[in-house]
Amino acid sequence: MLKLSLDQKRRRHCDGISRRLALRVGAGGLISGLTLPRILELQAKAALPTAPKAKSCIFLFLEGGPPHQDMWDPKPDAPSEYSGPFKAISTNVPGTFVTDQLPLCSQMADKYTIVRSHSHNDNGHTTGYHLLMTGHKAAFADGDNPVPNNAYYPSLGSIVSRSLGSRGPVPPYINLPHPMAAGGPGFYGAQHAPFVIDADPSQPDFEVRDLFPSGPGSSKRQSLRNQLLSGIDQLERARNHGPAEVLSKYYERAYSLITSPNAKRAFDIQSEPDDVREMYGHTQLGQCALLARRLVESGCRFVGVDAPGWDVHFNCFPSLRTDLIPYADRAFSGLITDLERRGLLDETLVVMMGEMGRTPKINAGAGRDHWSMAQTIILAGGGVQPGRVIGATDEHATRPVTRPISVDDLLRTITTLMGIDPEKQYYDPLGRPIPIVGGGDFIEELV
Amino acid sequence: MHLLPKNPVNFALLLACCCGSGQLAFAEWQAGPSQIELPHPESSQQVLVGTQLSDERSLDLTRRVEFSFTEPGVASINDRGLIKPLADGNTELRIRYEGQEKTLPVRVTAWQETDSLSFYHDIIPVLSKAGCNSGGCHGKAEGQKGFKLSIFGSDPKADYEAIAREAVGRRVWPVAPEQSLVLLKGTARIPHGGGKRFGPDSELWQKLHRWIGSGAKLDKNADSPSSPRETVRLILEPEQVILDGGGSQQLQLTAIDRAGQRHCVTTMASFESNMESMARVDGRGLIESSDLHGEALILARYMNNVTVCRVTLPQPGITVERPVEHNFIDGHVWDKLERLGFQPSALAADTTFLRRVFLDTIGTLPTSEEARQFLADPAVDKRSQLINRLLERGEYAEYWAMQWLNLLRADQRKIGAQATVALQRWLRRQFRENRPFDQIAHGLVTAQGNPQMEGPVSFYSTLGEPDIAARSISQLLLGVRIECAQCHHHPSEKWSQADYWALAGFFTGMKNKTVPGFGNVLLSQGGKDLEHPRTGETLAARALGAESVAMSGTEDRRRVLADWMVRHDNPFLAKTVVNRLWAHYLGRGLVEPIDDMRETNPATNEPLLEALTQHMIELNFDLKAFTRTLLQSRTYQLSPTTNTSNASDMQNFSHALQKTISAEVLLDAICQATGVPEEFNGWPAGYRAIQIWDNRMPSYFFRVFGRPIRATVCECERSDQPSMSQALHLLNAPEISQKITHRHGRARRLARQYETPDKMLDELYLCTLSRFPKQKERDLMSAAFTQHQDDHRAVAEDILWALLNSKEFAVNH
Repeated sequence: MLKLSLDQKRRRHCDGISRRLALRVGAGGLISGLTLPRILELQAKAALPTAPKAKSCIFLFLEGGPPHQDMWDPKPDAPSEYSGPFKAISTNVPGTFVTDQLPLCSQMADKYTIVRSHSHNDNGHTTGYHLLMTGHKAAFADGDNPVPNNAYYPSLGSIVSRSLGSRGPVPPYINLPHPMAAGGPGFYGAQHAPFVIDADPSQPDFEVRDLFPSGPGSSKRQSLRNQLLSGIDQLERARNHGPAEVLSKYYERAYSLITSPNAKRAFDIQSEPDDVREMYGHTQLGQCALLARRLVESGCRFVGVDAPGWDVHFNCFPSLRTDLIPYADRAFSGLITDLERRGLLDETLVVMMGEMGRTPKINAGAGRDHWSMAQTIILAGGGVQPGRVIGATDEHATRPVTRPISVDDLLRTITTLMGIDPEKQYYDPLGRPIPIVGGGDFIEELV
Repeated sequence: MHLLPKNPVNFALLLACCCGSGQLAFAEWQAGPSQIELPHPESSQQVLVGTQLSDERSLDLTRRVEFSFTEPGVASINDRGLIKPLADGNTELRIRYEGQEKTLPVRVTAWQETDSLSFYHDIIPVLSKAGCNSGGCHGKAEGQKGFKLSIFGSDPKADYEAIAREAVGRRVWPVAPEQSLVLLKGTARIPHGGGKRFGPDSELWQKLHRWIGSGAKLDKNADSPSSPRETVRLILEPEQVILDGGGSQQLQLTAIDRAGQRHCVTTMASFESNMESMARVDGRGLIESSDLHGEALILARYMNNVTVCRVTLPQPGITVERPVEHNFIDGHVWDKLERLGFQPSALAADTTFLRRVFLDTIGTLPTSEEARQFLADPAVDKRSQLINRLLERGEYAEYWAMQWLNLLRADQRKIGAQATVALQRWLRRQFRENRPFDQIAHGLVTAQGNPQMEGPVSFYSTLGEPDIAARSISQLLLGVRIECAQCHHHPSEKWSQADYWALAGFFTGMKNKTVPGFGNVLLSQGGKDLEHPRTGETLAARALGAESVAMSGTEDRRRVLADWMVRHDNPFLAKTVVNRLWAHYLGRGLVEPIDDMRETNPATNEPLLEALTQHMIELNFDLKAFTRTLLQSRTYQLSPTTNTSNASDMQNFSHALQKTISAEVLLDAICQATGVPEEFNGWPAGYRAIQIWDNRMPSYFFRVFGRPIRATVCECERSDQPSMSQALHLLNAPEISQKITHRHGRARRLARQYETPDKMLDELYLCTLSRFPKQKERDLMSAAFTQHQDDHRAVAEDILWALLNSKEFAVNH
């Protein structure tokens, strides 16, 4: 793990940390206990002109492809087979309109920014997901693929995890309420894989897997066990090198996760007051968003929430009206309100999007199909200037009429906002330098 | 390293250099090159001054001597010994050191006849040196900000177009060269995403400037391979060097072109260290060592040519005592350790050896009965006997079949369940019957027929295109990662795109056909030669580094490749399988990554790899016999406990390296220790994890512990990095907890058979750690007996839980 940081080739040097210093820090780290994440954090900080604001990112992924025109990019003047049944309403930002399905979000449009000109060219679910999370075209055909499907390129969450490391007792990269299909670590390896909370926090029996001892039940026995194990640890400490030493470090982190009241509280969504849980909505997405807030509060760097169900090919409007959009409306507005109340919005970047938008024209089955040519992305917090609308699509919401915002633009923007140098390269198993983001431009209008 | 040499005079010299005093007046010293020619305004020559301290050891004096010229104004020299021309003429470089003086003649002919610079031979190296065409900048597939160069300058014509023609000629402007975009951006005078790449007075700038000023032309026949200016060879001086902590060595790199001309390219080459923590190198070839000990390689690259310098950083003041040698392996290992000053660790205890050899050979933990028997066995050759017994066990074939299923990418969702089973059965048979590895390899390469019948045919099912098959086989069996050469010349190897596509030509005759009575079968008949993707030239199929062979239109072309592969003088196959086995048993390949063999990535112990390869060939690729030799070596049987001299050694096998236990083996070990077999989803009871061919079987344990997904033929796919989820799972998972408390499990059985605390502890330690507890551990565990009193079941459960969570259990040491 450390070897990688030592062998890291950085072509651009900045004033903060020279390569030589980083090397010495790295070499000293072997002995002095300076951790890799810490070194990387120092390096990343040095790479940015100004100190980044976003310490964490909550990524709400509306899997399946949310219809941009039925939510954030209404086209009231288009024929009804394009505009759909929902009406445009004015938000609390003069001149900004969304559909009437977003009553809560529309009243706080000054808290987030709408990017209407996102566009890419992968119309598949799993391949589009792959493209979005890694910045690279998938090497497999769309459809039935393993989870994670990004066998080679690391996902955004793994990039954040590797670059920034943990800043608290909880793991740096978490997926909920199941693994993100393209959320894997790729060639970065298992240590940058997400910690997956494979459970639905809206359920009354919600519990995080392997977080609590499932053993003897009585606390007396558990403390005996801990006593025996820490005794063994003491005795075997001398022999700890190589993988045992690494495992031992993860054991320490696991202990601190299990035993730290702070960490435990992070997962304990049941302790939230009812009114707060209500504010997010008693839905999977709502409670995931709430849990995500608790996790970033405890130091998680990247929470990826996968909210499926948005692939609305047939008869889409009833489900959009009753289930999908209201849940997202409540979850997102609840999250932003809550983060702001707690003073966390400035240091937490919130992104809500899917793998694509949906077809401009309503199909014969009264639904909308895949449409990656246009999608709306919602961003808030973490240094993003709120209350703006960036980009626009044409009269049918078919394609951007302003500069299209690419996946690389988005990934570059998210990493930069978090203080990660997107140009930084890591070496793949073939020894090829792979930059964190392969291209794109920072979306200047956001800041 | 001869740290206590026989000759006391040498020893004094050594001390002098170790102290860095530089008082070596009595030593002879040398300077070179003997004749310095500077034929171009941008030419430079690195001078090296050094003294030989012993047969192996020299000291770089280049930055300690005093330089001057007899004739001023002809050339300049900096404090690192780099000479540059100032004006045409002759002079002598005067080198003074400790009262002695030497002179070297210098001739500058840079301005008398101005031969124009060649885009291919002079400008492409500038773009490489400045990093413009690197993978992170303009060299990436999509280019950068509309300016795309071929990676490492692999396509000069396209690069010329990009620089001289695109962007309406703004990038180069011969009328006012300094206004050219490449110079303005390169020096960051106008904003440049890549920052400042060279200074306005640098030789890179000068070369670009002169080339642009003289019309920015593309030389004719630029990339013709017979051009007299084509670099054919690099000479790096020194090729190896021994450095102390904080030492330094200047390199001198000379390119020899086809016409036999020598050019100093030290300032134009790129240098990389494979161990920056030990020795780092700067862009002008100065190596500086840290105070770590071991070996580092410095790679020098110039124009598709690569070469290396091996840097040895011995540990001073250590006299290595050579332990008894069990076989030839140990001799080579001790030789190396002696050079480096690492004292080998002691022989591992019987308990450590027992657990290690079980896990390594058969992927299975010894049972407590097996452990008792072995530990009590008084036979002096009991280790050899055990090795022989293990190699004959059924698990040997199961375990190795599992590993090869992973390497062969047997993904059941892609090749189908029946084909996966067919491949597994074939692999098991190969290992059970100990089929020679050259025959296994031959069988794999030439596989044909129905993939659902026992055999290796399905290996090809996921490989698709001929070049994918070629590169997978190359990496798997030849240890050559030729994938890079698909799109550009391999950056650290001699392999070119022509080599890549010529190798792919062997796999062009493969097709799937439906044959009545046999179903859908794979056939390989005939085939065609492929074209070079850039030049369009037809490339006759040929193996790596071999000549092409005439082939009939109907034969299986792959057979020609396979026959070449298994010849006893083939330089790849034996070495690759030797390195794979060594890496498996010793925890690290002699070459790392294990399937990346190349001249510029030599083994940490070349004589050993050579001897092992020879041994493999002499044994006619008998894997069991070879494994026996490995396991019987003292090197394999060393303790993981380090001593003061070898704790930092991670690559020379002075002590056993700890290894992670793979997901399947660990799960089996937990089942065996708890006495409760795993029930696999949809599988009948009684299967062990190492027998499960279904790589898609959902299992949280496999997911967390990183079972390979079989997407590539790279061993690197299996992540052997522990994670926090693993620790959490072992600590808390209900599945493991249920095994500990299972009514037919070990804990309850031990409670029923309870006699004394000591006997119970013996059994718990034997079934998990394959050893008896030490007194300190008995004392520690007594807490459980005190707390639970007569509840022996609780005692056994709690101790078992703690032992399963010990690092000693989770790691193979």
